[in-house]
Amino acid sequence: MESLDQDNKKVMETALLAGHILLENGAEIFRVEETIRRICLHYGVQSENAFVLSNGIFITGGSEQEKFFAKVQHIPVSGTHLNKVAAVNQLSREIEAGYYTIEEASMALESIKAMPGKRRRTQILASGVGSGAFCLLFGGNAGDSLSAFLAGVALYWFVLFMGAPHLSKIVTNIGGGALVTLLCGLMHFAGLGSHLNFMIIGSIMPLIPGVAFTNAIHDVADGDYISGSVRMLDALLVFFCIAIGVGMGISCLSRITGGKLLP
Amino acid sequence: MTELLLEITAAMAGTIAFSVLFDVPRRFYPYCGIIGGTGWAVYRAASLFSGAAAASLAATMVVIFLSRLTAVWKHCPATVFLISGIFPLVPGAGVYWTAYYIVTDQLRMALETGYDAVKNAAAIVLGIVFVFEIPQQFFIFLVGEHRKKEKP
Repeated sequence: MESLDQDNKKVMETALLAGHILLENGAEIFRVEETIRRICLHYGVQSENAFVLSNGIFITGGSEQEKFFAKVQHIPVSGTHLNKVAAVNQLSREIEAGYYTIEEASMALESIKAMPGKRRRTQILASGVGSGAFCLLFGGNAGDSLSAFLAGVALYWFVLFMGAPHLSKIVTNIGGGALVTLLCGLMHFAGLGSHLNFMIIGSIMPLIPGVAFTNAIHDVADGDYISGSVRMLDALLVFFCIAIGVGMGISCLSRITGGKLLP
Repeated sequence: MTELLLEITAAMAGTIAFSVLFDVPRRFYPYCGIIGGTGWAVYRAASLFSGAAAASLAATMVVIFLSRLTAVWKHCPATVFLISGIFPLVPGAGVYWTAYYIVTDQLRMALETGYDAVKNAAAIVLGIVFVFEIPQQFFIFLVGEHRKKEKP
């Protein structure tokens, strides 16, 4: 009986770890709950009950046959790593197909958790390419796109080295928006790029909270109203902050140039 | 025509750049790019017949549909494809113009662009919700794999 209780605890902790990785890296609430339930059921824990919010998981188990287990885990929102979401999803399929013992599953989850993210250099470059491409998409020409690329690179450098370690989300997004606007203004002033608007629009794209926005809608559609509204609030906050940053940048630019820069 | 092709290429490049940013597994980059490019092509095509919001709705629906289809086909969560694929449609430009008009004291234009941005966002919301209502079985049927029911 003792070993059975141990198993029960191990199963629930493994399921919780899977849920933790999913939630932390940008999965929807529904998927987190579903994965936890599947892992528990597969290893024979019937009484599992998980309540998942956008930044925490509450999990309990226990009935007349099964030993009681309860745990609350706070999961602060961090970056989005969809490769981890995909890996846990794949693992949970394989668990259901019976390829893993509980120990192996737990170890596999630990190694997914430790998977390294993209290097900073790669992220900065990706941000630049994204900015350049979106500038082109929204009507800029090659020169605009080049300066949007440079602004996008500078923006992500700021986000990774200043924003993430030192600043709050609000200040990061306001600062990022302002930084991009000022840089684009300077480059426009120096003759690099001819459409200031498209340059700025392209280079703020890496800040746009696409993940929070999409997941929020997804959660509300699944009936997870609390998490959905928290994530939507997050997305709206970021949208507003970017707008404030850009606005501050524009008014600085027009002060400096005496209103000439504004088309 | 060349301009449109250039735009679609830019949409694909942008989408792939964002999938790198969100750490999408490397083998899925091409699919993300194709989905993003298709979304933009649909948006432009639909813009010929209707307003921006309706075009956003159509494009979003196509993006989500393709994402779910690819998700079933490649056995992975649809989120992996749709988050970066939807980026060209998110009203980033609306945010900029609203801020711009507010700062330059053109309140009427600010309201107009802000209203348009909200309308586009609502269209995207509806697009996502509608296509997520399609039962998973349908996609499994399309891919031709009659396996156990799974949420994308």
